[in-house]
Amino acid sequence: MSCPKTQHLLQEYFSDDLAPFAREEIELHLNSCEICGSELEALLLAQSNLQNWQDQRVPHWDRGVDLFKREHRVSGSTTGFWRWWQWVPTAASFAMLSILFLNVSVVSGEQGFSITFGDNSSSQQQFQSQLTEFQELQRDEIQALITRVEDRLDSNSVQLLQAVMDQTQQITADNLDRIYAFFEQNRIRDLEDMRVGYQALVDSDYETIRTLQQLAQFVSYQEPVR
Amino acid sequence: MSLIDEDAALIASALNGSAFAWEKLVKRHESKVYNLGMRLTGNSSDAMDLMQEVFLGVYRNLHRFRGDAKFSSWIFRIAHNKAVDMNRRKRLMTTQSSGNDQDDKDIFESIANDSKDEPDRKLGEQQQNNQICKMLAILPLEQRLIVELKVFQSQTFDEIADMQEISVNTAKTRFYTALKKLKVVSEENHVLP
Repeated sequence: MSCPKTQHLLQEYFSDDLAPFAREEIELHLNSCEICGSELEALLLAQSNLQNWQDQRVPHWDRGVDLFKREHRVSGSTTGFWRWWQWVPTAASFAMLSILFLNVSVVSGEQGFSITFGDNSSSQQQFQSQLTEFQELQRDEIQALITRVEDRLDSNSVQLLQAVMDQTQQITADNLDRIYAFFEQNRIRDLEDMRVGYQALVDSDYETIRTLQQLAQFVSYQEPVR
Repeated sequence: MSLIDEDAALIASALNGSAFAWEKLVKRHESKVYNLGMRLTGNSSDAMDLMQEVFLGVYRNLHRFRGDAKFSSWIFRIAHNKAVDMNRRKRLMTTQSSGNDQDDKDIFESIANDSKDEPDRKLGEQQQNNQICKMLAILPLEQRLIVELKVFQSQTFDEIADMQEISVNTAKTRFYTALKKLKVVSEENHVLP
């Protein structure tokens, strides 16, 4: 014996969203149909047998914590901050390798820093041109320095010459004064000598005159006597 | 804080690198996944393998969890897919393997590992679970998964259909078919205890 509605009705019986009127209809049939009723009872018994399952305790396992820590490289209390910092050595190594393989060169010039990659022939030319510019600049600076030193030396020489000339003039004036004084002294002495000489001459003349007078007197005296 | 909010907080912390939060998150859900594995595979070893694969999948895809569904539902979806994958690699819990010495060994090992509980009660629970595993072992995996999701995880047929990529009616039919098979085994067990 079987009921043609059994499968459809019981299938719908276990539906989640059975409408109330549909459930009433099913319940009515189940109450009236022994086959379907007993079938449902057996199915519910099988289901309830399953629901007797007793949860078993989980055997010990590491719960993936080792993997978690290994992949996060953190301890249990470490925050996300260190999670990022752990990549710093790797990033630094990668940067160094990149610099090595890409032949990166950093050039510092008047216009700031410049970074170049790959073949450095163009950078050498640029370096040569910058070296030339630098040499020219250095030459200009040295020339300007020499000029400044020369100017300073000239200025010092003029001042020294001026000082020497001033001193020389002073000395010359002193010498002239001294010569003038010497000549004046000689002149005075000569005048004195002349005066003395003249006086001596006068005195001599006077003596001569006296002598002559005496001689004349003697002569005159002698004449009457004869 | 509700359970869902607690899950969300633990997920956020785990994504931020907290191993403690990850361990707590696993602890909250491992029992359900392990027991699901026991029912699907019928032995502790495969259940452990399945559980580890499930949580590895959870770990790898945690950043993709958007929170638009319950975290437990998301885990069961992963468990469902992992069980299907595992069944492809090796037939899970075939009827030939059920009831063999391995099952009995698992039972006694489990009892021995838990000496604090009452041995008689534990033995009774283990025998009952073993009986359920034997019943489930007669079902093909797709029906076993539907029974697992419907009876033990209380999911709707819409959710089951979505997970298994089948129609709702197919899901209902498979469930009904599975129950009929289980009914037969259940009746046999009662007749031949």
